Amino acid sequence: MKGDQIPDPDHIARLCQPKHVPDGQIQASAFMLKSDEEGLSVNWLEFLECSSRDHEIAKIRNVYSLKFNRIGARATIAVINVGEVRERVLTESEDRRNLEVLHDPKEDGPPDPSHSEIYNLTQDDELIAELILETVHEAYPARH
Amino acid sequence: MPQIDLYKIFSEFDSGQIASIIYGNQLIEDNFPIDDPYTGAWGISTKTISIPACYRNTAFVNQEEETSTTDLPENQDPITQTTLLKREEDQVQELIFRIKRSKSICYREGLANRLLSLFNDAKEEDPDCLGIAAKSLRNFNNFLHLNTNLKCPTISLTPDYNIYASWKGEQGRVFSLHFLPNEDVRFVIFKPNDRHPERKIRVSGIATTDVLMETVMSYRIEEWISE
Repeated sequence: MKGDQIPDPDHIARLCQPKHVPDGQIQASAFMLKSDEEGLSVNWLEFLECSSRDHEIAKIRNVYSLKFNRIGARATIAVINVGEVRERVLTESEDRRNLEVLHDPKEDGPPDPSHSEIYNLTQDDELIAELILETVHEAYPARH
Repeated sequence: MPQIDLYKIFSEFDSGQIASIIYGNQLIEDNFPIDDPYTGAWGISTKTISIPACYRNTAFVNQEEETSTTDLPENQDPITQTTLLKREEDQVQELIFRIKRSKSICYREGLANRLLSLFNDAKEEDPDCLGIAAKSLRNFNNFLHLNTNLKCPTISLTPDYNIYASWKGEQGRVFSLHFLPNEDVRFVIFKPNDRHPERKIRVSGIATTDVLMETVMSYRIEEWISE
């Protein structure tokens, strides 16, 4: 339901476009906000109720292929544990930032029921982007 | 036209003065490549050395066309969004070409190809976007010329198409730089905490490009990002 906090044991996926993935390595720039964004777009994997990570990723790829005109060949899906990223940023950021990861399903345009957002980021959060990057332990190609 | 040895001239200045030259003179900023003669102090018109050219948007930067289309009067059409975008793209491609020619950057060829690849990635994602923000790229170019002894960083683009350069080292060391369009750089440093091995020192800040490396000197960054 919109606005629900995603539980700490759950996982979120972030689409990292090729401009954030030089040489196949995801960079912190993938976790920075555009100047007109309030939150960082992610997808809540457990919401999809799949039996395995592979099935979750397959579903997310389908969503991306409907939402975006083009997914570059080097685009990558980064998977992050909600509790780990919140804890890392809370304990290691200079201002002890408390990130909120909230469910925000999208129904206008291509349906994206697992869409969620990470809030409490600002445009000058390079340090927090680097902290988020440290919590990425799984990555998958974004294309089928 | 007199022959000028730029390296000899710059050796007579300290780094602060060089930075002052770079930032204090638009003439130089627009014709900066450290390998080209510095004409500003002699008042020689830069028009005589400007080489109007357009470069193809391909994976390689060395495909130069012989004729220019950008400076012809018939191309001075009213300013539109498309025109502005095209001008910025032309600036970006010219800057990338300068980096490729710059003898003071030892990894110039690979870096120029990476930048062009990023430009193409951004354009592929959104054909109407900037590709790379020209002022951010110029800021990065200035930094490279002020710090010629550094290893090649990993380059990516921020969501606003600014240059984000990152060096990663052992024990979780990170030195990342976000080159803003206004000659500032926001930096992030992660380094081991020698007294508390289970913890890391994490620092961020902002400085102008010319004083950045002095500003972070106490963190001994240069020990592991220099060649």
